[in-house]
Order: sequence, then C-alpha cells, then structure tokens
Amino acid sequence: MASVKLTGVKKIYDNKVVAVHDFDLEIKDKEFVVFVGPSGCGKSTTLRMIAGLEEISEGTLEIDGEVVNDLQPKDRDIAMVFQNYALYPHMTVFDNIAFSLRLKKMPEDEVFEKVTQAAEILGITEYLTRRPRALSGGQRQRVAIGRAIVRNPKVFLMDEPLSNLDAKLRNQMRAEIILLREKLNTTFVYVTHDQTEAMTLGDRIVIMKDGFIMQVGTPEEVFDTPHNLFVATFIGSPQMNLFSAELTQEGTGYTVSYRNIRVPLDAERCALLKAHGVSGTKKVILGVRPEHMTLCFNGEENAAHGVIAVNEMMGSELHLHVESGEEKNVILRIPTIELSAAQRASLVHGSDLGFTFSSKVVQLFDPETEQSLLFS
Amino acid sequence: MKTLTDLEYLKLSKGQRLVHRICSFFASIPTGLKNLVLSIGRGIGKAAVGIKDEFADLWNTFKNGDTPTRVSYLIMGFGNLCRGQILRGLLFLLFEIVFIAYMALSGWYWLSMLPSLGKVGPVKEYNVIYDTYVTTYHDNSFKILLYGVLTIFFIIAFIYTWRVNIRQNKLAMQILRSGKKLKSGKDDLRSLVDDQFHKTLLALPLTGILIFTVLPIVFMVLVAFTNYDGNHDGYINNLFSWVGLDNFNTMLSWSGGGVNYSATFGEVLTWTLIWAFFATFTNYFLGMLVAMLINKKGVRIKKLWRTVLVLTIAVPQFISLLYVSKMFAKNGIINGALMDLGWITQALPFWEDPTWARITVIVINIWIGIPYLMLISTGILMNIPQDLYESSRIDGANAWQQYTKITLPYMLFVTGPYLLTSFTGNMNNFNVIYLLTGGAPTNAAASGAAGAVGYTDLLITWLFKITTGADAQYYLASVVGIMVFVVVAVISLVVYRLLPSNRNEEDFQ
Amino acid sequence: MSQANASQSLKRHMGLKASQRISNTTAHIVLVIISVIWLIPFVCILLQSFRVESTYPVGYVKPEKWGLDNYRNLFNTDFPRWYVNTLVMALCTAALQTVIVLCMSYTLSRFRFKMRKPLMQFMLILGMFPGMLTMIILYRVLKDLGMTQANSVPGLILVYVASSGMGYYVSKGFFDTISKSLDEAARMDGATRFQVLKKIILPLSKPIVIYTVLTAFMGPWGDFVFARYIAFGTSSGMNVAVGLYNWLNRDQIANNYTMFCAGGVLVAIPVTILFMCLQKYYVEGVTGGAVKG
Repeated sequence: MASVKLTGVKKIYDNKVVAVHDFDLEIKDKEFVVFVGPSGCGKSTTLRMIAGLEEISEGTLEIDGEVVNDLQPKDRDIAMVFQNYALYPHMTVFDNIAFSLRLKKMPEDEVFEKVTQAAEILGITEYLTRRPRALSGGQRQRVAIGRAIVRNPKVFLMDEPLSNLDAKLRNQMRAEIILLREKLNTTFVYVTHDQTEAMTLGDRIVIMKDGFIMQVGTPEEVFDTPHNLFVATFIGSPQMNLFSAELTQEGTGYTVSYRNIRVPLDAERCALLKAHGVSGTKKVILGVRPEHMTLCFNGEENAAHGVIAVNEMMGSELHLHVESGEEKNVILRIPTIELSAAQRASLVHGSDLGFTFSSKVVQLFDPETEQSLLFS
Repeated sequence: MKTLTDLEYLKLSKGQRLVHRICSFFASIPTGLKNLVLSIGRGIGKAAVGIKDEFADLWNTFKNGDTPTRVSYLIMGFGNLCRGQILRGLLFLLFEIVFIAYMALSGWYWLSMLPSLGKVGPVKEYNVIYDTYVTTYHDNSFKILLYGVLTIFFIIAFIYTWRVNIRQNKLAMQILRSGKKLKSGKDDLRSLVDDQFHKTLLALPLTGILIFTVLPIVFMVLVAFTNYDGNHDGYINNLFSWVGLDNFNTMLSWSGGGVNYSATFGEVLTWTLIWAFFATFTNYFLGMLVAMLINKKGVRIKKLWRTVLVLTIAVPQFISLLYVSKMFAKNGIINGALMDLGWITQALPFWEDPTWARITVIVINIWIGIPYLMLISTGILMNIPQDLYESSRIDGANAWQQYTKITLPYMLFVTGPYLLTSFTGNMNNFNVIYLLTGGAPTNAAASGAAGAVGYTDLLITWLFKITTGADAQYYLASVVGIMVFVVVAVISLVVYRLLPSNRNEEDFQ
Repeated sequence: MSQANASQSLKRHMGLKASQRISNTTAHIVLVIISVIWLIPFVCILLQSFRVESTYPVGYVKPEKWGLDNYRNLFNTDFPRWYVNTLVMALCTAALQTVIVLCMSYTLSRFRFKMRKPLMQFMLILGMFPGMLTMIILYRVLKDLGMTQANSVPGLILVYVASSGMGYYVSKGFFDTISKSLDEAARMDGATRFQVLKKIILPLSKPIVIYTVLTAFMGPWGDFVFARYIAFGTSSGMNVAVGLYNWLNRDQIANNYTMFCAGGVLVAIPVTILFMCLQKYYVEGVTGGAVKG
C-alpha cells in the first residue's frame, strides 16, 4: 500500500553499458503497472532496482515518499515473485511460505495462521507438506505468490511470473492474478515481454526499448494512440501493417495516399497533424492494424491489390497474408462471419485481392524519427 | 592474407581449408603482438593516469577538507573519531600505532639490511675463559630476506590503509553535506554478516594464502637472485648475498661453470613435456574408451566394473605405486611370473634401462589415471543428447563415425579446460615419478653438482632432489621453479587462446 | 518371391542380433581382463602381507606359510604412532579445509565485488608455481616455531590448511549451478547474506560438502612430499606414507617388505571403505569440476 516514485533512475554496469536511461515514473498507490518490452530492454533491471537487487547508479527511488536507494532489499518492505519461482527446494511448501515470517521472529502460531490463510486464498492448502519438486508448474507459481502475499508487503513485484507456464495455464493464472489483485488491493509492478499480458493486467503500461521508456499509458492509450513506430508495432497481434505512403496537405485537410488508395483524413487527425506542424507533401509511414483493414470484392477504385501468400483459418476469423508490391507481408484479419461462402472460397492461396482502410484507423509516422505525427 | 567470406570458405576442399586456417593463424600473429604491445602501453597509460588522479584527489580532499580531515592525513582515524565513528577510528589509529611501533623497533632494521642481506657472518674466535674456539653468530640473511619482504608487504598495506582513511573522510564529508547519517560502529558490524559478508568470508582464506603461498613464492623468486645453498645458509655457516642474474646465466647458457646445467635442464624439460603429453592423452582416450565400454547398452553389472577401477583412486598412491614399483623390479613378481611361464630367460630391465623405465612409468600411470577419466567421461557421455545419435543413425552414420563426429568433438569441447589443467598437473606429477622410480635410472651424463638427475626425473622431482640433502642448492631450485612457472604459464596461455570453449562463467548461472 | 524376401529380411535381423551378442560378449571379456589387471596389485599386496616364511621381496605371489606375524610386528614399530599422526592430521585438515574452501568458493560464486576477477586471476597465476618451492621456506619458518620433526603434526596441518583456499574451483562450480534467484528470493524475504548461506545454500550443498570433506581427508592421509619435508628424519613426527616409504629403502627392505604390505593394507582399508561409501558424491564433484573447468 504505497506509491513508488522513480526519478532519473539510471543503471550503468561496470563495463560502461547503460541498461536503463533516465527512468522517470510515478506509480500511484494500489496501481497495477506493467513494464513491457523485448528482452534486453531494461525492464527487469528496473524492477530489480526497485527490489534492491541491483544498485541504482544514478537517480532516486522513493517508496511511500522515503528515499530507499541505499536500503537493503529486506528493509524495503517489498515482495517479489521470480520467473523461475525460486522456491527453496529443501523446504516444504509451508516452510517456503513461512520463511520470511520466521526470519522476522514471528511467533509460531501466528506464522501458522498466516500461512494457512495465504494457502487458502491460493488453493494450495492440500500441498502444504509437499516439497516444490513434487508440484506442477502452476502450483509452484501459486506457492511463489503465497510466499509474497504472506508478508503483506507495500509493493508487490513480479518478474515474468507466467513465462514458464504453458499457454493454457498461463491464461488461467492471468485471470487468477487479476482476482488476486482485487483481493490484495496493493501496488503491483509487473514485468513481462508478452503484450497480451500487459494489456490484460495493467492499469498502466510502460513500454520500454533499449533502456528508454517509449510510452507510458493505459492499455487503451497505447493501443489507440501509439507515440511512435515501436509502440505501434509492439502492441497488438498480429502486428500493425506498415506502408510507405505519402501525406499531402490540401487546403485545411490532409490526404494520405498509398498506391491506388487515397484517404482524406478526418477532422480530428487533421487537427493533430496541424498541431504537429506538418505541411506540404511528405513521405510518411502509414500504419493500419490488421483488424482495421477492409476487403474489397467489387473492384472498388480506392483499393490496393495483392496476392494471397498465406491463408490462416483461425476459426472465428481469417488471417490473410498478402504480398502487395513493396510490402511483402500485409496482414488482414477478417471475421469469418462477415464473409459469404462464395467470398470465402475465393480467398485461397495465390488469388488476387483488393484491400483498403478508413480514415479513423490510420496511424502516421515520420520515416526518420519514427515518431508519431499524430500523438507524440 | 585475404579474408574469405563464409561462402568462399565453404567452397574450399578439406586440405585448402586447413591451409587457410594455418595461414590465417600465422597472419594473425603480428596483429596479436601489436594488440598485446598496445594493450600493455594502454595499461601503463591508464596506471599513470590513475596515479595522477589519486594524487589530485588527495590534494583536493586536503584543500577542501575540514580540520578533522586534514588532521587525518597525519593521525589516521582522527576524522572518524571526530564524526562519531568510534570503532573505525580506533581501528585506524591502532593500525597506525602498530605500524609505527613495528617500523621503529624492527622493520627499519630489516629494510636497511635488505640490500646487503647481512654484513657480519658467524665469527670463530678463541675464547680465553673456555680455552676453546667459540663461534658467535651475527646477521641472519634468511631472516633479513624474509622479514624484509614482510616489511615491504606491511608498508604497502599501510599506504593502502592510509589511502582508505583519506577516502573515508571525503565520503563522510559528502554524506554529511547531503544531510544523511553516517554508519555507526554497530552498522559496520552488522554489515559484516550482510552486504559486506564477502569480506568476512574471505578474511581467513586470503590471510592463509598470503602468508603460506604469496610470501613464500615472493621469497623464493628472490632467492633465485642470491647464492643461498647448503654452504650459504645465511646464519650458521656463511651469509648469502645477491648475485644478480648469475643463476639464470648458469642455467640457460651453454657455458656453465664446469657443470653443464643448461644441457641437463634441456633434457629434463624435454622428458617432462613428453611425459605430460603421453600421460594426459593416453589416459584421456583410454579412459573415454573404458567409460564407453562400461556404458555400452547390454553390458551388465556396470557398477561392479566401475567400483573395481575406482580402487586406484581410493587406495593412497604411496601404497599402490610403491608396491607396483617393487612388482616391476628385477626380482619382482612380474619378472618372476614371466620367467616361470618361460616367456623370458632374463629379467626385463623395467627400471634399469632408460627407455624401458620411461615407457613403464607411462604405462603404470595409465593404471592410475584411467579411473578418473572414466568417471569424468561417464558423466559427460550421459549428458550428450541421445537424439544426436538417433538422428545421425538415420543419416546413416556407423559407430566409428558417430564416435568421431559426435562423441569426440563433444567431449573435447566440454573437457578442453580440464585437458589443459591435466596437462600442467602431469608436468608437476611428483607422486607417480618419485614413488615409482625416484628418477632412476641415473643419467650419468647429466648428473653433476645439480643433484643426481635420472632419466625419468621431471622438473619437479629434480627440484625436490636439489633442495634435499646437505648440499642443497636452493637458488638452483628457485630457478628451476621459475622455469616451471614460465613453461606452465606459456602453455596455458597459448592453449587457452586456442580452446573453442572459451566460455563465460556467467553462462552457467 | 515374397517368401524369399521374408527370409532375407529375417537373415538381416538375425545378423543384427548375432553381431550384438558378439560385441556384448567381447565387451564383457575386455572388462574382465581390465578388472583383473586392476586388481592384481591389490590382491598381491594383500597376499604378501600374510607371508611369514620370509620378509624380503620375492618373485612369487602365493605365500608358502600364512600368518599374521606381519600385522603383529607392526605394533612393535613406530607404525601406531604414524597411524595416529596421520589420522589426527587428516581429521583436522578435513574439518578446517572444508570451512575455508566453502567460504572461498561461496564468496567467489555469489558476490560481485571489484577485486573478484583480479583475485581469481591472481590465484590462477599463483597456482602455476610449483607448490614444492614454498616448502623450503615453510620448513625453516616452522622449524623456528618448533613445529617440525617430532612436532610436525600441527605444522603439517597448518601447511595443508593454510593455502587450501586456492582449491575453490570444484565447489565454486557447484555453487554456480544453484540458481541465484534463490539467494535473491531469500534476501527479499528478509535474510541477511549470512542467513542465506546458512539456511538456503548449505542445506542444498550436501554433495559438495561431502566431496570437499572427502578430498580434504584423503589428501593428508596419503601425502608424501610435505610430510617427508617437515618430519625430516624424525620417526615420531612422520605420517604413514613417509614411515612406510622408509621401510622400502635399500637397507631396510629385506627386513620390512612384508610388514610394509601389512601396514599398507591397514592404511588402505579405512580410506577405501570411506571412499566406496561416498563414491557417489566424489563422482559428482569430479565430473562437475571437469566440466566447469
């Protein structure tokens, strides 16, 4: 139950490699913040600096208003769940969970009460006398969480806790973490490389790359208004289609054109472009999410054409990978329900296909800076 | 040297590839040397800058320091005491007092005698009262050298501590200026089992290493530049003194004073290398073979075979090797049995003939060494993923191809570093040689003042022989020891650079 | 037609089985031969220790007269004294060396401090000097301290233990395999570094602790060089290795050869039993050490 504030936090290793650059973030009390990014982006390092497992090279870290840079991990009143669970193999589940309480010299009956309570929340009461080796992945994960919650910490840190689980269990545990979070009602910092986890769990998402924060925002914000090319392509699956397109200012409005497609932008986007001082004709990177692409069956004028390279039937929707001139892999996500039987039959490997998109879904990026021309 | 792209390299035939690799190895030597020289130069430059920075820092700390800090330049720990860090302050102060007391009482004496290693030797004088000759002893070269080295160690430690004392003052001023609190003595003690726990853990082992390894080695290296031997023991008969590089001259030049040390040294070194090579590789391959045999599918009671072999590790070598050496003696069991069988009429000269002796020690070493390699390779062989063998069988490889293409490369990759240590270990394998032959048969041509050198003597057993007995030549032993170091270091360095498994230790964590 | 095919394939399968049987038989024969070669010296020494018709080396194995005289005679020599010396040294060394080696290897595996890499490189270089070189000076220093010859037991323990920190490689390799996140989890749980070692690492390190104790025990039990140097000619300060070695000198061998065999058997038996019981851990240590270099 505490806020966490990072100001200008930096991590520089002995070999002068900078793992995290000027990290500024204020995590509010009871907020669930997710750090997400590809491996090596510095997300785990940042988490470990909050935990006290890595030294903070520069900047300050405050927990509940107190600067804790020089405090040992044990004095920071935080708990952490590790990727590989880090359960003590020689102790039973009970002893694992009780370990921290016993180190605090808590009376044994109180320890018993707390451990059983935590075990009940997580549904592992029947495994209390087993050793970690005898547990499945999901159960181990629960013990690791139990070990953390029993301490009733100010801040709860999780370092890729689900990445060692198989897909089905991962979905289940994700749901359980959401429930757990409601029960515990405390501050969470969660690290993952999986954008789905980030989107489903986080109140706010911190997207990182190469030690820099690329964007901080709610799941809606980072999805709808990405600040740069990296965020746009990192969030969303399958990833956003990118086209090298041209942006033209026409009077008060703007038009974006890609091959045959000419889309006049809506008023909101025009205002944003104007605010960014875009004028004249300009080469841009145009981004459209696969689910926002529209199929054209009737030979519309305002459409680009390509050849279907791969056709993936996912059940409720169809993923089409299209080769269209320069762009070798344009992906279209079409709900199957919207297609007639004849249309479906025509969408086979090698067949020709037309597509377009509407103005409301368009993202525009500067090809040089890779910053968004709309939202940065 | 033309560098080839990967594709061009793949187009070459086997022979061409080999030629290419050898050529590029030699072509890389100049660059390697250049880099070495450059990095040494850079190192010196860095060190110079570091020293300059140290002095600048010292000066700045003094200039910007408050009074306690400035006083700390003279009285160590004064700053700590003024700022309430009583424990640290007292320790610093105590160290300074002990140091000054030591230097005044004896350190200075040892240091001043070090250049001469003693001026007055034992004196034999006629004593009127006892009516006999009485020897009075004076300077002790051995102690002067030993305590001289110790005093230098102590001075270095003092300078370092003094520097730490200054730095602490600087840090304390910074911390106080930023409004934080200093660590109390209690905090210091607590941190010794927590964030500074490594210092607690290392204190004892490192002290042991410093006194029982580093100090003796420094001493012995210095002995190589003196004439310390049985007749110059530094106290009772004669003092010893510095002789510069004379000992190295005798050892390395072909014109030693009467005795040809360099020839002896060359012979012993050659045999040492031959021995190490055969001892390492016979064991390596035969051990691997035995391990594969025991692990073969269909072989029963694997545990029994292993246990029988492991006996040679369990039984102390001085028993098994001494006994075996007697078995191979002229009137030993082996010769006896062979004669009973009528295969030979004359005893085989296992220990009497140089070539026989050399081959016999290598063979007996196989008996000692195979079990270790068997254990090691068993572990590694089990770790080779089975699917490698399965997929190679589907690809049509036979057993021999599987061995040369999968097992052997895997083993070599994994045990590369082990092979290196095993090679250098065998170079210094005192037990096997000394207990089996004691160096015999004697090499009359090479023997002389340098102890009785035999055909099976390694550098290490030679060294041992030189240092025992009344006419021990410690300075010579020291030179041999330094040579062993040089040879081991060069081999290690070269091989380590060539190893494919030049791995990062963090990979295992 | 199809019958011919079937018989051919049958033949091929038969061939496979038969060749397997042949190769298995060969393997067993080879293993038996190897085992015999490995056992001969031990069997011989055992048989000779019961030979009472003569005390000098002979060219035959089977005693003509059997008896326990050699074992009985051992007690009229300094052998019991040597045995006790050796036992005391081995036990003390095993205890102290284990503590030192574990301190060293745990620290180098777990802590990242500035001097760590230089320290390890420095020790690597130190290890390239022949250890025997240090004996010359250690002997003289210990002699000044009165810890040689008759009093060589404490002196030798000191020599064995003092530098044992350099042999940290194998156990460091083992500690390296224990996941570091266990340490981190324990530290987050509120443990100090010392508690991490006591409550997490040591309970998990039973194999390597046993390996370290075993090798630390076996070292002095069979040590020859250092013991010979420090005890130098004084019988009461010798260990079994030096004492028994002297029995095989040219002037003693005629009287003491069979007694040497008896003594050897008595020395070998306890350590062999110990070794066989703990073999599993030894193998683990040796293998791990070789792989991690």
